[in-house]
Amino acid sequence: MASISHLTFHIEYKMKKINTFLLAALLLSGASCKDYLEEDTTGLLYGNNVLSTQDGLESALTGAYKGLASQWSRGFIHPSANAATLGSDDVTTHPASNKADWREFDQFNVSTTNQRSNAVYNGCYKAIQGANNVINNYEKTVGDKAAIDIIVGEAHFIRAFSYYWLTRFWGNIPLVLAGEYSADLLSIGKSTPEQVYELIVADLKVAETNLPNNKRDPGRPNKGSAKAYLADVYLTMAGWPLKQTDKYDLAAAKAKEVIDNKAAYGFQLLPTFAAVFENDPASTGTAEAVFQINGFTSGDSGNSTYGLTTMPGEEGGWDDMYAELNFFNNFPAGPRKDATFRTEFGLSGTKIPWQNSLTKHPYYKKWYIKGDISTYQASLPSVMMRYAHVLTIYAEAKARGTGGPDQAAYDALNQIRLRGRVAGTKPLSAADGLTAARFADEVVQERAWEFACERTRWFDLVRLEKVEEANANKSPDDLQPIRAITKANYWFPLPYSDTSLNPNLN
Amino acid sequence: MRKYVVLILLNLYIGAGYSYAQNGRITGKVTDQDNAALPGVNVLLSGSSQGTATDGEGNFVINAPASGSLVFSFIGYVSQTVAINNRSVIDIQLTQESRSLSELVVVGYGTQRKTDVTGALSVISTKEFAQQPVTRLDQVLQGRATGVQVTQSNGSPGGDSRIRIRGANSVLGNNDPLYVIDGYIGADYNLLNPNDIASIQVLKDAASTSIYGSRGANGVVIITTKKGARGIKVTYEGQGSVSNVIKKFDLLPAGEFAEIVNARALATGSTPPFTEAQIANYKSNGGTDWQDLVYRTGRGQQQQITITGGNEKTTFLVSGNYVNQKGIVENSNFRRLVFRTNLNTQVNNKLALRFNLSGAHSLNHNTDGGGALIEALQWAPTTPAYGADGFPTFADPIGSVSRSPLDNLYDRSNDATKFNVNAIGGLNYQLPVKGLTLDLQYAVNYLDGQNSYFNGPRIANNVPNAGRYSSDQVTLQNTNSLNYNVTLGNHSINAVAVLETQQYTNKNFSANATGLRFPQLGYDNIGGNSAASVASGFQKWTLLSFLGRVNYAFKDKYLLTAAIRRDGSSKFSPSNRYSVFPSVAIGWRLSEEEFIKNLNIFSNLKLRGSWGSTGSQAINPYATLSSYNTTYVAFNNNSITAGVIQGNAGNMDLKWETTRQTDVGIEMEFLNGRLRLEADYFHKNTKDLLLNVSIPNYAGGGTQTRNIGEIENKGFEFSIGGTPVQGSRFGWETNLNFSTLKNKVLDLGGLPRIGTGTGAGGGMSITNEFMLMPGQPLGSYWGLNYLGTFKPNEADEAAKQGRVPGDPHYEDVNGDNSITTDDFKVIGYAFPKVTGGWNNTFTYGAFTLNVFVNGVFGVDKLNYTRAGAMSGSGEARQFLLTEIRDYYRPGNEDSDIPAFTKTYQPFTQSSRFLENGSFVRLKNVSLAYNLPSALLRDKGAIRIFGSATNLFTITNYSGPDPESSNVGSGTDTAIGIDRGSYPNAKVYTLGINLSF
Repeated sequence: MASISHLTFHIEYKMKKINTFLLAALLLSGASCKDYLEEDTTGLLYGNNVLSTQDGLESALTGAYKGLASQWSRGFIHPSANAATLGSDDVTTHPASNKADWREFDQFNVSTTNQRSNAVYNGCYKAIQGANNVINNYEKTVGDKAAIDIIVGEAHFIRAFSYYWLTRFWGNIPLVLAGEYSADLLSIGKSTPEQVYELIVADLKVAETNLPNNKRDPGRPNKGSAKAYLADVYLTMAGWPLKQTDKYDLAAAKAKEVIDNKAAYGFQLLPTFAAVFENDPASTGTAEAVFQINGFTSGDSGNSTYGLTTMPGEEGGWDDMYAELNFFNNFPAGPRKDATFRTEFGLSGTKIPWQNSLTKHPYYKKWYIKGDISTYQASLPSVMMRYAHVLTIYAEAKARGTGGPDQAAYDALNQIRLRGRVAGTKPLSAADGLTAARFADEVVQERAWEFACERTRWFDLVRLEKVEEANANKSPDDLQPIRAITKANYWFPLPYSDTSLNPNLN
Repeated sequence: MRKYVVLILLNLYIGAGYSYAQNGRITGKVTDQDNAALPGVNVLLSGSSQGTATDGEGNFVINAPASGSLVFSFIGYVSQTVAINNRSVIDIQLTQESRSLSELVVVGYGTQRKTDVTGALSVISTKEFAQQPVTRLDQVLQGRATGVQVTQSNGSPGGDSRIRIRGANSVLGNNDPLYVIDGYIGADYNLLNPNDIASIQVLKDAASTSIYGSRGANGVVIITTKKGARGIKVTYEGQGSVSNVIKKFDLLPAGEFAEIVNARALATGSTPPFTEAQIANYKSNGGTDWQDLVYRTGRGQQQQITITGGNEKTTFLVSGNYVNQKGIVENSNFRRLVFRTNLNTQVNNKLALRFNLSGAHSLNHNTDGGGALIEALQWAPTTPAYGADGFPTFADPIGSVSRSPLDNLYDRSNDATKFNVNAIGGLNYQLPVKGLTLDLQYAVNYLDGQNSYFNGPRIANNVPNAGRYSSDQVTLQNTNSLNYNVTLGNHSINAVAVLETQQYTNKNFSANATGLRFPQLGYDNIGGNSAASVASGFQKWTLLSFLGRVNYAFKDKYLLTAAIRRDGSSKFSPSNRYSVFPSVAIGWRLSEEEFIKNLNIFSNLKLRGSWGSTGSQAINPYATLSSYNTTYVAFNNNSITAGVIQGNAGNMDLKWETTRQTDVGIEMEFLNGRLRLEADYFHKNTKDLLLNVSIPNYAGGGTQTRNIGEIENKGFEFSIGGTPVQGSRFGWETNLNFSTLKNKVLDLGGLPRIGTGTGAGGGMSITNEFMLMPGQPLGSYWGLNYLGTFKPNEADEAAKQGRVPGDPHYEDVNGDNSITTDDFKVIGYAFPKVTGGWNNTFTYGAFTLNVFVNGVFGVDKLNYTRAGAMSGSGEARQFLLTEIRDYYRPGNEDSDIPAFTKTYQPFTQSSRFLENGSFVRLKNVSLAYNLPSALLRDKGAIRIFGSATNLFTITNYSGPDPESSNVGSGTDTAIGIDRGSYPNAKVYTLGINLSF
């Protein structure tokens, strides 16, 4: 177009030839307009070549993690997943205040627009899209093969992790393998849990192969993480809804691999329970974490599962979640109970015992930030699985699998029990004469205590079909289901945001 | 300065005296009805070609024979012939012509006599707002033109206004009109000094706007700035104002609040938090009135100076304008400084050059309302404002879970500055062919936008953060036009052909840091912090256009306009790049026909009709491509890692959104213009609607821009104006206008409905607040129908839903005994059905009184500010408004305010918080007094004025202001939501205007 401006200025001086020039100018501009209207994409990151370099692939992998770690809106660094597991018997919420969306879970009336569960849903699928993009394109990436293998391993792990959460919460879900949007995704149907678990297992097997023994960063998985998740997935597949009981043996075997190689993977059962929940933002996590999603108070990366959400009003807290009365009362005394619950409130001066408090419930000390800092976020990780989980997976799976509990199963359970209970507690042994089923129940009960308010109990109740039973044993002073619980309450309805766009999901 | 004036006069005198030495010297002054000097009036010796023009103060000097007569003529005024009769001083007053007859109106790429116009356009003369203390164009447009709806949606100083011409066509795109200032397309009216405005034309129908092609669909506001005039004239205006909130919410006093909190705790099995002693103490000593702490008396000032001058060939205008306003919300203010220089020179009888340069700088500080206004209604009155340490109370143990209103006010900064330079240079050359002129214009617009934020340690929970965003935006425009004017007998033709290019680039960067180690540095020094992120971006679009228009008039009676524009835009893929926008209009001036003339009723009668098409490329560049965004993930506890995440899905098939509009109108004038009526009917149809369609979250979420569906806007516009009283001392001019608008979605490409919303609800909405559905208008609220509370005799029905009497009762549309989004339906409408304005000017001697009333009717507002204070949801844990006194409890079962139960499930997105947003408002009353010129010994003029804005509002809306809302001015899909929006204020202004 510069030519036009030049020409038009010319016109001024050569008036006599005005018509000729103007015509020429018009013609010229016509000839050059194609370039003038060419879209200038300098500064736009798009197209397939983005993932063609190792840096590009790594960046896309990092983006995939974002789905799991976006404060309030997506994933697990806020109490959304805790809220969604409120149907279990360990946690409840405020009967009034502003907790209507929390109560939906505790009262078994989950709406399709519940922002808590939807944050998990949206986050898992965003992570899946990012992981799919890596998995579908890494073969064209130029770079160091070993490094690329690890990237691909992490992508498979993220995808499996995300689908595992999705199918446990929603059951039948869309199974998406595409890394980018296309119109045909708008009419995709739902896949059964069986189909979803098939992908989860396959993904975790790739992760198991590709991942190194050492985590690249505290917030990433290693080989041991993949194996531990595979064990957990098998344990779940053996229960409701698939009830593939042959998976108990696979679960036990996989858990055993982790236990036997825990030094190589850097896993450890910390000597004291309190050390696990020291919650010091200056520390990047503990050796008990099998897989954790890190938080760091920058932008939307701070972790809001800690702090105000589980603190009482007396301490400026939000009363989002606290302990159910019978659960607390039945909880075996010991260092674990002391580190799990906060029973006196007040950040300074006078302490109010929970019985006299506003909500008349004990709270979960587990999610207090070191120093009882009164804030809604911290640079702390969401530990999605602990080594203690692996020990109990082994113990339970072995008990329910072929041959019943072996000594290793007793050892695994005892490690947890003895750390948690009062000094001098007798270890369980074969001499106690427990049946395999009874032993398994002991493990499940121990898991309830050990992982209280850690998003574990709900899934145990679901896979063992004990949701109704557990809720029937609630204290009358706690929130009650607003209608009788049925199997339909084991899963949430798919979010309205998606069912309203794809009728095949209804 | 006086010396200079004298020199010029002397010059004139000598020049004139030399030629007509044999004649007598005649001096005089020409004024208008208001005794204001009229510069530039032609003064001609009758029957000769000798003449002159008045200078900047309306004075003239001419040599003429004592027996001759002088003809005074000026566009827009009735010409007068005055016999000299041996006088040497002749002062005369010109009266305005029935104004629309001879008025020249600026249409796109040219001017036309108003009588010849075939399209629907409104002209706003500067006289209409001269008496009012306006600081911005939107205040000028409000209620003064039919079909133009102005909503001051953000009442903060310098806040956004939503301006719509004949409704909203586009769901996705910006529906703001196109602003053309001195030929520069896409100008920012916020940065225009209203005192620089010479004329405003609002183009409404497609015949008028299609000349702007792809950017004309929302109507066009054409503004011409003032030019200088001969002689030197200086005008100064200064004004000061005070402002207050119009209305506050009724909040419970602390003692009563504490009792209600206790009652709720008891009813739901918790421990009452307040002791009897505390309650008694609150009752006798009161609590915290958060609204009082948040609102204040605002103050403002505007200083304005304009200097015009020049000689016969060259004129200049230099003006400066300074606005400084402190808003009614604490710690919010706005400053703006605008300079302008307009230079015009007639090089010779063929060549004219012009150069306009304007520069503006503006700063908005914390004018976003938001947090403080919301929290003032969510923090408990029992919570003290300040702690023992002297700092604001950090956390509210009872009311809100969010940060204190005071920390929202003082522990954060949100500053937006704009620095804009606009330079327009042009030349106009009379070509050798008679009536053919060439006009070349180049414009450069530079906008430097700086947005900075800082969130201190308190508001950000000990993680203070700050950042800056900087953008460098340059727009280049080149307009080359050929204009041809010819009159051959009864035929007059005006034709224009234009080649125009426009190019926009935006280079930007941002830097953000969290966990500031030195929060006292705010956003001014964010280096040296552990968590920092930077980003940069580049955007560019180009537009290439060819256009032409022919105006044809036969016998000044039969009028025809045909125009066509072809636009090419870089935003689309090559196959969809170009689009053609044609239009045609006809007019018939019946008043020129003998049979009408013989009726002796009409001084003007015109029928007109038009059809045309306009477009919208209302999408961002690169919407055809799927791209990645940068994101940050923490893999440990002390750093973040950058990654990329898929953004919105692109769509290669995007094309132009096209609006076809038909308009028929009639213009009538009676009694030589003392009564004027104008009526229009329009019908707009927009197809290939650009929509951001939600993508399911399982497919990545976000949205994709698509061309889907069709939308219709139709309505009537009426304007009645007149001069009921036209006496020598007392006069009354009045203008009433109102418009109706009916909007309907016709089709959504087969989809039954598409939800839209912008998240303005801030935790109050559980899904999109608006639903697009064929058959329903834009802005249809989507929510639950609130039926009140479950009554004792409805216990069984309540039980089916797991509720008890006293719980909220929502309509169970599908009858499944469960209240879900499946029970959502259209519950109201966010677009007003009728809008209007009534402007009156009364003159009595030297006094001028202006009274302006505007009104909006048939509109609903979703009052989320009230919902926050009354639902116990989102951040708010308690109920704070006095209306809670009436809550449902035994003995008060008639109440529809829910009871205190454990099964209470509030849905704020329901008709419970939908309110009628209609209002009639006394928008402005102003009184001005012109000091008698005798007092000033004719050396100038002094005017003193005072005004009151938003003095009086009639409305049922419970919030502070029915006019304000949260959503930015561009979009229309989510208007009408009020969530702590910054309300408009009552403003009292005093000012003085001096000219000499």
